[in-house]
Amino acid sequence: MADERKTIDRRRFLTVLGTTGAGAAVLSGCTTEKVEKLIPYLVQSEDQVPGVPTWYASTCTECGAGCGLHVRTREGRAVKLEGNPEHPVNRGALCALGQSSLQALYNPARLKGPMAKQGGAWKAITWDEAIATLAQKVGAAAGQVAVLSGAPRGTFGTLLGEFAGAAGGKVVRWQPFDLEPLREANRRTFGRDEVPAHDFAKAKYILSFGADFLDTWGPLVENQRGFAASHGFAQGGMARHVYVAPRAALTGLNADEWLGCAPGAEAAVALAMAHVVVQQKGGPAELASALAAHTPEAAEKASGIPAAVIERVAKEFAAAGPGLAVAGGISSQHAGATELCAAVNLLNYAAGNIGQTVLFGADLDHGDGYGAVAALAKDMAAGQVQVLLVHEANPVYALPAKAGFGAALAKVPFKVSTALVLDETAAQCDLLLPNLHALERWDDANPRAGLWGLNQPVMEPVTPGMHTGDVLLKAAQKAGGAFAKLSAADFQAYLKAAWAGRTGGEAGWRAALAKGGDYGAAPAAAAVKLASAQVAGDLPALEGSGDFVLVPHATRNLYDGRGTNRPWLLENPDPVTKITWHAWVELHPDAAAKLNVREGEILRLTTAHGTIEAPAYIYPGLRPDTVSVPLGWGHTEYGEYAKGRGANVLDLLGAPAGGFVAYVSQKVQVERTRGYRKVAKTEGTPRQLGRGIAEAMPLAYAAKGYTVEEAAKAAGHPPHEINTERELDAIAGWRKGQVGEEDGKGRRLGNYAGEHPMWGMAVDLSRCTGCSACVTACYAENNIPWVGEDQVLRGRELSWMRIERYWEGGTDGEPVEARFVPVMCQHCDNAPCEPVCPVYAAYHTPDGLNGQVYNRCVGTRYCGNNCPYKVRYFNWHAFAKAAFVEPLNLQLNPDVVVRARGVMEKCTFCVHRIRGAQHTAKLEDRPLADGDVVTACQQACPSGAITFGDMNDPSSRVRAAKQDRRGYHILEEINVRPAVTYLAKVRHVEPAEHAASGGGEHH
Amino acid sequence: MRKAALFLGGTAVAAIVAVAAWQRPSTAQTPPAAAVAGKAVVLTAADSAALKGPRQPIFFRHDIHAGQYQIQCQYCHYSAAVSSEPGVPSMQTCMGCHLLVGGSDSANQKEIAKVRESWNTKKPVEWVRVHWVARHVHFPHQRHIKAMGPTACATCHGDVARMPQVYKVNNINNMGWCINCHLERKVNRDCTACHY
Repeated sequence: MADERKTIDRRRFLTVLGTTGAGAAVLSGCTTEKVEKLIPYLVQSEDQVPGVPTWYASTCTECGAGCGLHVRTREGRAVKLEGNPEHPVNRGALCALGQSSLQALYNPARLKGPMAKQGGAWKAITWDEAIATLAQKVGAAAGQVAVLSGAPRGTFGTLLGEFAGAAGGKVVRWQPFDLEPLREANRRTFGRDEVPAHDFAKAKYILSFGADFLDTWGPLVENQRGFAASHGFAQGGMARHVYVAPRAALTGLNADEWLGCAPGAEAAVALAMAHVVVQQKGGPAELASALAAHTPEAAEKASGIPAAVIERVAKEFAAAGPGLAVAGGISSQHAGATELCAAVNLLNYAAGNIGQTVLFGADLDHGDGYGAVAALAKDMAAGQVQVLLVHEANPVYALPAKAGFGAALAKVPFKVSTALVLDETAAQCDLLLPNLHALERWDDANPRAGLWGLNQPVMEPVTPGMHTGDVLLKAAQKAGGAFAKLSAADFQAYLKAAWAGRTGGEAGWRAALAKGGDYGAAPAAAAVKLASAQVAGDLPALEGSGDFVLVPHATRNLYDGRGTNRPWLLENPDPVTKITWHAWVELHPDAAAKLNVREGEILRLTTAHGTIEAPAYIYPGLRPDTVSVPLGWGHTEYGEYAKGRGANVLDLLGAPAGGFVAYVSQKVQVERTRGYRKVAKTEGTPRQLGRGIAEAMPLAYAAKGYTVEEAAKAAGHPPHEINTERELDAIAGWRKGQVGEEDGKGRRLGNYAGEHPMWGMAVDLSRCTGCSACVTACYAENNIPWVGEDQVLRGRELSWMRIERYWEGGTDGEPVEARFVPVMCQHCDNAPCEPVCPVYAAYHTPDGLNGQVYNRCVGTRYCGNNCPYKVRYFNWHAFAKAAFVEPLNLQLNPDVVVRARGVMEKCTFCVHRIRGAQHTAKLEDRPLADGDVVTACQQACPSGAITFGDMNDPSSRVRAAKQDRRGYHILEEINVRPAVTYLAKVRHVEPAEHAASGGGEHH
Repeated sequence: MRKAALFLGGTAVAAIVAVAAWQRPSTAQTPPAAAVAGKAVVLTAADSAALKGPRQPIFFRHDIHAGQYQIQCQYCHYSAAVSSEPGVPSMQTCMGCHLLVGGSDSANQKEIAKVRESWNTKKPVEWVRVHWVARHVHFPHQRHIKAMGPTACATCHGDVARMPQVYKVNNINNMGWCINCHLERKVNRDCTACHY
């Protein structure tokens, strides 16, 4: 036995087997692994059963939305994050950024303990030393103490405030995407300094002025859920969505109409629309007079959008009721952003949406805004801050260098950072006190009025950090004096005391922990009055003299740059461009033609403030007079995944003048360099070329219950691909013989005989926004390794689930349209991959799955070559070994095997979840119920676009979804009989227009 | 390595035949020094070298625990009926008895002292694993206990109650072992029942 377990390599194995009879003995063991040890617990935890997940409720801290989490832990470590179905904000779904929180938890760059800068070098110190230093410095600062915190509103914030107060200092709360213009506008128009809630689900007409509510604006999961509810086709209707902005972000690509407005002119358009709405519906005289000058004609001049279009949209908006207009995204954050938000306030007010879809009183969490940070920086530069504590904020990176925060920081004698990894700000500090990750600590958040989320430690800390709350309390006890009132033993006690009023006794506290917090009912919408109708619709001035306006944008994956150190988010293609792992410059095709630039050419962008270089990406969803660059790249610290990757567009910006960072403020010079690089994008062919992959139909047809074929016929198009008569005969014969279609029972032989479920999926393309949350969920669930930039360039990414994005139109003056299709293994009944496998690794399971037996696979790749959907992915290298480095490997899902080099892998329909549910049902002596099996992608989807279940169960939801008239299969004509049904996207276009335009997909 | 084994498994037919013969399930092999059920013989840790199976850091006698004292398997392997994993008893479980039970003879006393030391020094014993399946195999213990009852363990693990030192009686790492039983009982033999 001992001999059998020795590790032997392949060559030695062959030698032994080939030359000696002893080879048989070696083979018989089939265990060539090392001696395995079984190390028992000293004391078995009562709530952990090995092999059975333990779930904890928690709260996501990745952005200010405060979504509820269910954390799946196995053997004492968190392996998957899912949304908490009870949470009113996310209702069970979770975005890619939220899911990637696990990669912040297990990030290899996490600091191993407190460190002090001594002579320019970092030296590890003990926690006692660190706390003593902090207490001493704060005590000696004579009130000149400041805290810059990005922590959410909550009990920790209270503690920070008390600590700073005892030290005679102050706390500035700040997040880079703080929606300052929106709050300022609300203060002006309605006298309320607040971020209201927006009910997208209720809106019949959504008008967005640069508010990329599906990218980075507001609580994304809630927005998307609402958007899918209103804009997804149901009961013969759907809301209309018009996006007004220079660049069609993902939000714009999901609009029925994108109006490419000149940068800065969004306010003029909004005012003109309000003007029309008031003419239609009437309104206070004050409003009418304020809007009198803002005619559609004037707006046309400023924005380039025809007056007739503005008038039409405004009339539709007025008639829809209730509608919803939103503004204030990053790509429309220019010097006139406050005016824009105020204009949109008037528009909502005139249309009667306030209190209907714009709900004041919800009081969404926000920081103090950039103005407060600027004031703090001024104090710091003036030497009035002796000790600065930076908590969950990275202003040195996330603010333009010209804002001077870094320079002001240098003037502070003692800087402390609680960052988990060494970021740009922490690198300039003197003392590092790495906090615990949100999944390792006690915490809470109050993301909106009446809603409190709790965090509890779900596992032992990955690195020996210390809760910043504990650090502060210990430092306070050491410092004494004014700090004496901070007497809680630790932060857990402090938190529990704060919750005592909310939950009552221990039972209430435990109930809140189990639930995830105190999810009270949303407060009734506060009645608001128009305080001021004054808005100047002037075009904001732009700095510089370049040919293009620089429109930076924030991406769904990287957000403000906090996602850049997580390989899941780097490998998850940007939903719009499909680019992975590097930054880019977007250029309109016309501009590219004018400059003679092709994709991948390195462009140099220059403003008065700086220069950056990045490869060009030709993007039709952009005005020709603008270039757009994503935020979040160009880190100089923040761990090895982020460091030195791409360029930071903030380097092109000047010092912010007002109370917020005007991202759109520069004209930029675009120069060609002689450099070129291949863009690492996962996009194959950007157009469908008549293949009918992403089908769509006009609303009128969908309402009539047309199928895709009927819609095409009604629009005057032949079906996109016609089988010849011979093929049709063959297919009919096959169906008769193999499927037994005539009696509807199907033929089942051998292992396939008997009662089995038949797993199937339906994807509603009228709900899918292309956000790619499912992609990250799939990576997290199925131990999919990321392959990195070089391998993506070779097309070797392993994304079992991918979102394909196809362009329609965009030529001959037609508007450009994007269609998103999530593509995973289609689990074909008549799968082309199966018969070509020489070792039967690809085969069909009795329950209708296309199985892939990794241990049988010898890597011929015949299956991949024969797959018409290209959903089989080959492990060209030991990707898993390279990707899952310590401690990222702790995240691996024990229920799914990690695939080795040379193995073909693909979507399994989360077969381990199916088997797990079957095990559970069997133990409970009950049949599997509809909804017992939820795939990872389905679970994560904020739009609820994916349905999964047993197609043999007549009452299953998936069966109902598959019977939808819009249902179709991709590449139906090749008769592979996929188990995934897509429901065609529904568009707000006139059928006649559809016909005249050539119908997009039907050429 | 695994793939090499598979590849060869497919080609070296002669070897396979030899293997199959070698690994035919053997019924209740009597270990050389095992006692008749009821009373275990006295053995010292030094004797364990002559016994089949890997030597363990503590000469834990399944024949005494499960045989002589008839302790149910699931008393220690507590999660076998509810989870894929059978569960390895925590040191606390050992001490539940061995706080009081000190051993009837010097050989046992010596071994039990090691358990107590491990508990006192808070260093769990590192057992050498005898049975495990490859990582691409998922063996749900709970389904098998559910279907075959709580004493079904012996089907794969052999008559542990008569083993002073546990060894691999059946070649559970060969898929034929699984399939034979699944064929006989006419139960699922779909690949993705176990391989995913």
